[in-house]
Amino acid sequence: MIAAAALLAYAGLLLAAGAPALARARWPDRAPRLAVAAWLALAGSAAGSVALGGLALVVPTVRVSADLAELLAACVMALRARYAHPGGAALAGAGAVLALAVTARVSWCTARTLAAGALARRRHRRGLGLAGRPDPRLGAVVIDHHEPAAWCLPGGRRQVVLTTGAIDALDDAQLAAVLAHERAHQRGRHHLLVSLAGSLAAAFPRVPALRQAHEQVARLAELLADDAAAAASPRLTVAGALLALGAAAPAPAAGLGAGGSATGARVRRLIAAPRPLSRGASAAGMLSVAALAAFPLLAVAGPALAARGENYCPHPAAASAAAVQTTSPAGLCGPSAGC
Amino acid sequence: MRSFGELEAAIMDRIWSAEGPLLVRQVHATLRPERAYNTVLTVVEILYRKGWLTREKDGRAYRYRATVTREDYAAGLMGEVLDASTDRAATLRTFAERIGPDEAGQLREALEQARRAGEQR
Repeated sequence: MIAAAALLAYAGLLLAAGAPALARARWPDRAPRLAVAAWLALAGSAAGSVALGGLALVVPTVRVSADLAELLAACVMALRARYAHPGGAALAGAGAVLALAVTARVSWCTARTLAAGALARRRHRRGLGLAGRPDPRLGAVVIDHHEPAAWCLPGGRRQVVLTTGAIDALDDAQLAAVLAHERAHQRGRHHLLVSLAGSLAAAFPRVPALRQAHEQVARLAELLADDAAAAASPRLTVAGALLALGAAAPAPAAGLGAGGSATGARVRRLIAAPRPLSRGASAAGMLSVAALAAFPLLAVAGPALAARGENYCPHPAAASAAAVQTTSPAGLCGPSAGC
Repeated sequence: MRSFGELEAAIMDRIWSAEGPLLVRQVHATLRPERAYNTVLTVVEILYRKGWLTREKDGRAYRYRATVTREDYAAGLMGEVLDASTDRAATLRTFAERIGPDEAGQLREALEQARRAGEQR
């Protein structure tokens, strides 16, 4: 009961306070990799906490055991105890529904997002096969279109796509920067990270923090790829390439938001060249992220692990071994020595 | 040219590159490496049935023309990327999204200043 309350409160805290704080923080621009980990840990941890919280309502404390039969027996005993009075039964029922619903919803949405992405990519690849021509010198597929654009097709057979407009708009150094950016997306499998965050957002569309996590992971993936490109080319070359393509890019169907564009912000970041986080700060950040992710598991496993220490219901084998040890002089001969 | 898709692509390329509508014989003659005429004929008919090609009678044969220009088709592919819904944004994302003219002007200035500062250093 306490574990369940703690887990649900933790999920609430992460979504209501953690996400806005992380969105306001300045450091993610200096450490995009850490920030991606933080957003995914936050979103995953919140969903996991709700599921585990539901589970903790059903089974208050189960002794952790590698023996599945024993674990199931413990579950049955706990359930019997719960059903002994009606309030407990209702609570356990609600917990079971919560745990199952969250788990099923996340699994379903993840599977659907991944399948939809794979289908869209396959269709797009087929289209590229018809209208694009491979350019072995660039290692990219070129399609004839006057508007400049560059993108990549992640997954199995990776491709970087450039329009003829993009090739005309960029000089050789800028072109190399664009290719490095797109290959960094493919190498880092950024589409999976973004899909993961997107699946959680799709599973719970009414939770703004999860939508924010999705947007931020997508934004930070671009920064990661920019940094990878800036490691191979001068930063200002990458900024120049972004500006050249961004200024000439066709307007998206959805229209532009007020204020600066996301791409403009990336150009400013490349020009300003923010100092990366110090090694100590990054290490501390990584530890915090790990703690963020580990808390729900500890909250469930903690009491159970503590219960394991109390040997109030010893395993038959352990009990007989203990009996042998007490009857024979310690260290002289074990139970298998035949004395 | 190994797979069937590649032959489709090669045929579309010939037809898109041609000045006017082509006979299957003309498509066949320009394909490298050479393919069996019947294979080319079959694939052209498949493309016609799929709606990629339209044809007009010329004597006893047909002349084939693409229904959409290569540029229009490329625009369709770009549209898939640019108008991406959030779901699809996960897989296809353009390198640079649109920067408005005012912002682009400011950024050009900032970039120029940074370049000059870099040279002075």
